Amino acid sequence: MEGQTSQSSQIIEVTVDMPAGVSSLGGRRICGGAACDFSDSKSTLRDSKERSASMRKLIIAVILCIIFMSIEVIGGIKANSLAILTDAAHLLSDVAAFAISLFSLWASGWEATPRQSYGFFRIEILGALVSIQLIWLLTGILVFEAISRMINPSGDVQGFLMFAVSTFGLVVNIIMAVLLGHDHGHGGHGHGHGHAGHSHGHDKHSHGHEKSGDYHSHHHDDHDHDHDHVGEHGHSVSFSTHHHHSREDKKDVHEPLLKHSDSEKGSSDGKKANQRNINVHSAYLHVLGDCFQSIGVMIGGAIIWAYPKWTIIDLICTLVFSVIVLTTTIKMLRNILEVLMESTPREIDATRLENGLCEMDDVVAIHELHIWAITVGKVLLACHVTITPEADAEHVLDKVIGYIRREYNISHVTIQIERE
Amino acid sequence: MENQIASPMDSRAADAFPRFPPPKSSSFSNPITDGDSQHPWGLNYSLSSSDRRLAFSRQPSFRQSDPRTPNALQRSDSLRPYLSRSDSSISILPPESDGFGFGSGKVVIGEDVDAGKKKLGVLGLLLAVVRAVRSGNRPMKRLTLLISLNVAYSSAELMIGLLTGRVGLVSDAFHLTFGCGLLTFSLFAMAAARKKPDGIYTYGYKRLEVLAAFTNAIFLLFMSFSLAVEALHAFIQDESEHKHYLIVSAVTNLLVNLIGVWFFRSYARVNIVYRNAEDMNNHSICLHVLADSIRSAGLILASWFLTLGVENAEVLCLGLVSVTVFIVVLPLFQATGSILLQMAPGNIHPSAFSKCLRQITALEDVSEVSQARFWEIVPGHAIGSLSIQQIKKGADDYRILQYVHGLYHDLGIQNLTVKIDFV
Repeated sequence: MEGQTSQSSQIIEVTVDMPAGVSSLGGRRICGGAACDFSDSKSTLRDSKERSASMRKLIIAVILCIIFMSIEVIGGIKANSLAILTDAAHLLSDVAAFAISLFSLWASGWEATPRQSYGFFRIEILGALVSIQLIWLLTGILVFEAISRMINPSGDVQGFLMFAVSTFGLVVNIIMAVLLGHDHGHGGHGHGHGHAGHSHGHDKHSHGHEKSGDYHSHHHDDHDHDHDHVGEHGHSVSFSTHHHHSREDKKDVHEPLLKHSDSEKGSSDGKKANQRNINVHSAYLHVLGDCFQSIGVMIGGAIIWAYPKWTIIDLICTLVFSVIVLTTTIKMLRNILEVLMESTPREIDATRLENGLCEMDDVVAIHELHIWAITVGKVLLACHVTITPEADAEHVLDKVIGYIRREYNISHVTIQIERE
Repeated sequence: MENQIASPMDSRAADAFPRFPPPKSSSFSNPITDGDSQHPWGLNYSLSSSDRRLAFSRQPSFRQSDPRTPNALQRSDSLRPYLSRSDSSISILPPESDGFGFGSGKVVIGEDVDAGKKKLGVLGLLLAVVRAVRSGNRPMKRLTLLISLNVAYSSAELMIGLLTGRVGLVSDAFHLTFGCGLLTFSLFAMAAARKKPDGIYTYGYKRLEVLAAFTNAIFLLFMSFSLAVEALHAFIQDESEHKHYLIVSAVTNLLVNLIGVWFFRSYARVNIVYRNAEDMNNHSICLHVLADSIRSAGLILASWFLTLGVENAEVLCLGLVSVTVFIVVLPLFQATGSILLQMAPGNIHPSAFSKCLRQITALEDVSEVSQARFWEIVPGHAIGSLSIQQIKKGADDYRILQYVHGLYHDLGIQNLTVKIDFV
């Protein structure tokens, strides 16, 4: 069984290079160094790949944004229209959000220092928080501007111009949403096999299709897929966590996985979306919010074009769509809040874990169980296990750690064994 | 310094050890010493009780409260000598307690709030809020007062602005509303932080206060940035709109915010040493109202300079205000950010850590120490985990555990999980 515990690893302690006959879990049970990295080389590789993929997406989005923004600025100055310039300013705020996300992505790859012993993964979360607060701020500003426009009717509201500008903005935003999102259209289905994300720890596919059960490795989305392919091949890990190039491999991998896929089937959409990198997701939310606003302005512009007297419709549209935008951020905000509050991650049932541990032989009691996440996919656990006085501490330690890794795929586990 | 701590420890040895361990909630919900007692951590790095960087509250300095008193009677910033060994985590759990080892009861108030929220409707929620506030401590009451003042003022401004059609008033009202929302979040954090840890939030709810402080800091940073943009705008446009009708609103705003600063005057410093979570929250609230009052003062000043005929008065004043707010907020932002980023506890010098590591390695049974990680859940409450490689099996691990726990306990790290591996 030890060989199979390894496939869930993003951890160093169980190395898969060993031949299957070796029984010990503890080839290398301890990372070296007083402040060793949170992740080992394998997961670092995967993390950095995923990070570079996300960064690439964001950089492309930023470049597109800047291009469109300059187009709009030039057009707005030429046409001397405030509406276009406002939209350009909005795009500028998008660039700011992308910049925050990019910085968070880049910073989360920094090496751990003794002062920052868990590495910099939390920066992702903080960056996403700042980004979401920016969304809220901008929405508030928009609402304020709508109200002030209503108070001071600034003369002729050209319905046609509104419509045209917002359509252009909508197209731009849709392009970027597609760029950043990929699985946006399939956010609806409950991924029963979303566990794959969990069991592989931090499987940061941005392709929800992957999880729909058939694990096809070809998927006609361009960018990062290929990059995820490359490099995983030469791995010593026989179970590739991203792509399964042959069905036989998949069968082996997924037999044990299926047993705890059901336990994690109750995953929500919001969590699936978070299998995507959280920073990319927050940038995506920005763009989505802009889409909604553009749609609102389009509707408003169309109505004003048709009935030029109903300027109040502008305000109503803005308000309605602002509320919609804010509701899209709530789920992500909740996730961020949970991580920052060091709460037990949603996908892990602490009671079940504790019961499972208690049921083991020699284990008398568990206390001070803390499960928390350093960022969305990386979970840590610390607890104290009381064992019977005559039990073999090492053996119990191995069993407990193995159980937790196998069942819940928690990598960083610190267990203090106490005798009664 | 050790003697000072020994005596309070002995005095409560009796009530700390009858049932071993004490309810774990005690280790979560109690902040540490206030400024009057010396820091029992071994090394006193430039911190004395007369250090003005410590915020003094009006609470009595050394409240010895029984760990068994229901939390309703314990003020949230009362004192427990945190060095009581009962906090150390080597313990034998009596079999009948619940599996997590926490104090399983929630705070009475917390339950009230929960029960209140289950009632349908806004009225129930409101009643729960009122109840929570009434049982709250003084900063909470003051904050509620402040928030209600702000809400009243901003809604009045909004009404007047809408009726008379002045955009400046409406924008000011919006700004105030944002601020009110933030203050409400701080209030909510204050109230929620008194809840006991439960199954999902195993470390309790105190982090909410740090989060509220962080949100406040970000808002203030945004505000400074937007003021800078406004200054730039005024500079580019080069025609200052003489918003004289805003003076009245600015003066009222200033007054309201100065009341707030007075309420939180013990936190009106830029660099504060944070000793518990409420410190951070209160400091952020104080900075919030302070920044608002600076902004109002800046507007008034700009208006006055304009009447004096100074050119570019608006640009100057707004720029000055923006820079000031930025400088003032930055330390708070860094401190809260470092807590949220799980940085090592700032009040413990890294040499203390390495000294502890050396001492552990010097034990004869220990061959290696690794994965020593420490972080703070709230300022003053440090948590750590550590991995030790023991040379021979069957050595007295209890002794090693006790030694290690004691070492780190002296540093101020209450919750420690030590994993012992055998080579």
